[in-house]
Amino acid sequence: MKLWKDFTNGIVKENPTFRLVLGTCPTMAVTTAVFNGIGMGIAATAVLIGSNLIISLINKIVPSEVRIPIYVVVIATFVGAVEMLIKAFSPALDSALGIFIPLIVVNCIILARAESFASKNPPLNSIMDGLGMGIGFTLALTFMSSIREILGAGTFLGKTLFGAGFEPALILILPPGGFLIFGLSIALVNKLTAKKA
Amino acid sequence: MRDYVRLTGVLLIVCVIAGAVLGATNYITEDKIAEQAVKANDEARRSVMPQSKDFEKIEEDKVSEILSNAGYDSIREVYEAKSDGNIIGYAIKIAPKGYGGEVEVMVGVDSEGKVSGIKVGKNGETPGLGKNATTPRFQEQFNMKNWTDGVKVIKNGTPKDNEIVAIAGATITSSAVTKGVNQALNLAKELSGK
Repeated sequence: MKLWKDFTNGIVKENPTFRLVLGTCPTMAVTTAVFNGIGMGIAATAVLIGSNLIISLINKIVPSEVRIPIYVVVIATFVGAVEMLIKAFSPALDSALGIFIPLIVVNCIILARAESFASKNPPLNSIMDGLGMGIGFTLALTFMSSIREILGAGTFLGKTLFGAGFEPALILILPPGGFLIFGLSIALVNKLTAKKA
Repeated sequence: MRDYVRLTGVLLIVCVIAGAVLGATNYITEDKIAEQAVKANDEARRSVMPQSKDFEKIEEDKVSEILSNAGYDSIREVYEAKSDGNIIGYAIKIAPKGYGGEVEVMVGVDSEGKVSGIKVGKNGETPGLGKNATTPRFQEQFNMKNWTDGVKVIKNGTPKDNEIVAIAGATITSSAVTKGVNQALNLAKELSGK
């Protein structure tokens, strides 16, 4: 039961994007197109699960005074190695997700979960937390990028949705539109979750 | 004092292990990655010049005099496209400066001076805007453009024979690719001696 709770925690209650407001920079950068949103979400999920597992396994031997630099080194090493392996053995995956991997190294969700969850919980729970946070992040990115791509470019996953008469609202693809949609999304999520409480 | 030694020691050990892991991964993957890059380059050449059977790189020292011309600052690599021993055109790799750094583009120019295709490769352009340069819709506009008239960018409207329509909201990227294609066309013309 605890595992299930750790898993769902990241999806709604502590959604990294809308609740914890972490990873805002990559969120702004990749939500211009649905494909990018999903790609970033999947890549981040994989790294979250991996780094949470490693941090959870080594937390007993890490002195708490130097834990942050150690986490940073561990995460960067993990991401760096994964990037090289993908480039070498799966060029198709690299061309689809390759550009998101360097962005993940600086994604603060990874470090935040390492610090606030994985370092205090057993490996299995940490994996579930990574998976849940990753899915929550992916859903949030997909939600925002759908709005931005449909209204801002008139396409969904690259396919044109409307006739020639549709004039896309370019501002939604540009950074100001990102902040607008981000703010409105948080407001919406707050409104929806406030009712339940 | 003992704490300093202990903490530094742990950090040192972690970093040494991390370095070793990365070094080992690099050792395993280095050749493979280089191989994939060569393959991707080869595929790009093939896609812009499907009628060519093989490509032969023109070594830099042979064309260095021509390339030292400031008008060719975007040219990176030049290949002769051959079919049964005859030169049927050129595959030229250009890297003009876009909005987010250099945009790698492979341009195919046939011996009649027409663009047989372009393929936009590695770039740091904005997703949703400049990144749309990789879509067939943008790239196909360059097909059949020729080295006599060159290529011009217009923002909207119906393009004439020697014009292309810029990507909405990404004029810089569109102009950069166009500038590079024009350089490739000029270079192909000069190389073919026509």
